[in-house]
Amino acid sequence: MTADLGSARAIMRRGALITGLGLVGIGVVMVLAIGYTPVEINQGPAQKIFYVHVPAAFTALWIAVPATAFASLLYLWLKDPRLDRFAAASAEAAAVFCGVVLSTGPIWAKPIWGAWWTWDGRLTLTLFLFFLLLGYQTLRAAIRNPLERARFSAVISVMGLVLLPFIHLSVYLWRGLHPKPIVLKPSAPSLPPEMLKTLLIGIACALILYVGFVTCRYGIQLARDLKESADAA
Amino acid sequence: MGRMLRLVITIAGKDLRLELRSRTSLLSAAVFAVLILIVFNFARDPTAISTIDLGPSVLWVTVSFAAVVAMNRAFNVERENAAFDGLLLAPVSREVLYLGKYLANVAFVLVVEAIALPLFVLFFNLDIAHALPGLLLTLLLATAGFVAVGTLFSAMVVRTRFAELMLPILLLPFMVPPLIYAVKTTVLLFGARPLSDVAEGLRFLTLYDVVFITLSVLLFSAVVDE
Amino acid sequence: MLPDNSQYLVAAYIIAGCVYLAYTCSLFLRARNAAK
Repeated sequence: MTADLGSARAIMRRGALITGLGLVGIGVVMVLAIGYTPVEINQGPAQKIFYVHVPAAFTALWIAVPATAFASLLYLWLKDPRLDRFAAASAEAAAVFCGVVLSTGPIWAKPIWGAWWTWDGRLTLTLFLFFLLLGYQTLRAAIRNPLERARFSAVISVMGLVLLPFIHLSVYLWRGLHPKPIVLKPSAPSLPPEMLKTLLIGIACALILYVGFVTCRYGIQLARDLKESADAA
Repeated sequence: MGRMLRLVITIAGKDLRLELRSRTSLLSAAVFAVLILIVFNFARDPTAISTIDLGPSVLWVTVSFAAVVAMNRAFNVERENAAFDGLLLAPVSREVLYLGKYLANVAFVLVVEAIALPLFVLFFNLDIAHALPGLLLTLLLATAGFVAVGTLFSAMVVRTRFAELMLPILLLPFMVPPLIYAVKTTVLLFGARPLSDVAEGLRFLTLYDVVFITLSVLLFSAVVDE
Repeated sequence: MLPDNSQYLVAAYIIAGCVYLAYTCSLFLRARNAAK
């Protein structure tokens, strides 16, 4: 399958468009959250951080990371460079969403739980995931040879994937049987319809943003790879 | 099977003999461990925190740092003379190569721990004779875990530009689960808790070891072969 | 009584927005360089 710079540019343009759409969507969600959704009685306005925090967490943990890991596993088997490009793009997007989770999480925790950071199981797992993703990027940046870079990235992806359940288990052990933080658990099982609708829209927009990020980043990598092989030739 | 085992031991033996001859890495890791112990001793307020409370954390921080310093050497030796390429050309399976390197690294880190542990007991005035067998087992299991991942990663990192920095960065998240369980177990051991409490931690450490040694063995050829 | 913590909400939204926007800018800049 041959690709040329033209198709790389087309992919980047498409990615930029989808990203723009996603960003507008996130803006819409914020407006909806502030204006349309009811205010939660116990938590107050700060609860609305939920509409940005939860979609980012969902996208990072259930979409971006599994996609990266799956692409990496397939790469180790099939050695197709497209899989490597996708994995790299997805990992970068995952890091961005993790960043949003890790910055909005403490800001939400402070008024609700009284502390910026409580080693909460999910936030801590996201923190370590973030470190793994940073390690992944650092590794990629340090390797010149594209084949080696692809292979090593895939190896660390797979190792990281297997590590995640261990981190989950050990963090829960470490926290012990601490009482759950006082107020309501933020994601109550039965949400009033406005909240549910806004949450779902939030998740959809985060997903669109993810697709935009990955498409654009994939295009960038494709263009770079093409230039590199053209230089080498 | 027997031949494989002999090959593994030969490779491990070669590494260890090389290390014993130069002794530089061993000394630097040991000195590093001693320095950490000394710093911790001066860094704490003896009236505020008892040694028995601080002990487990200090011990494991020392062990972790020393292990990383020790593992950095893992492939450096070969890097110098492209000896690793020679090793790869030899008719040795990748699994055997990994296990040989792994054993050498484990032995190496255990030696550093053997130097650090008595000093730890000495500096911190701890009476932990009752905890010793459990502690040794925990040290062995946790070391087996860190080193499995560390050996695989050092093979990746050895030819990158900032190898000495890359290894700790990549390794950190992988050291957290064994560290958590090791510290918990050590706390229980120092507190003279019964074996049944400690068993859960040891079982987890063993599970971690089995999973990551197997995974590293499987992935090693992806790292060293084109 | 409703707790008065809307400043946290605003801060969180601004920060999340900045993270997304900053990454998008980084992407667009890199895309422009790669497309040359």
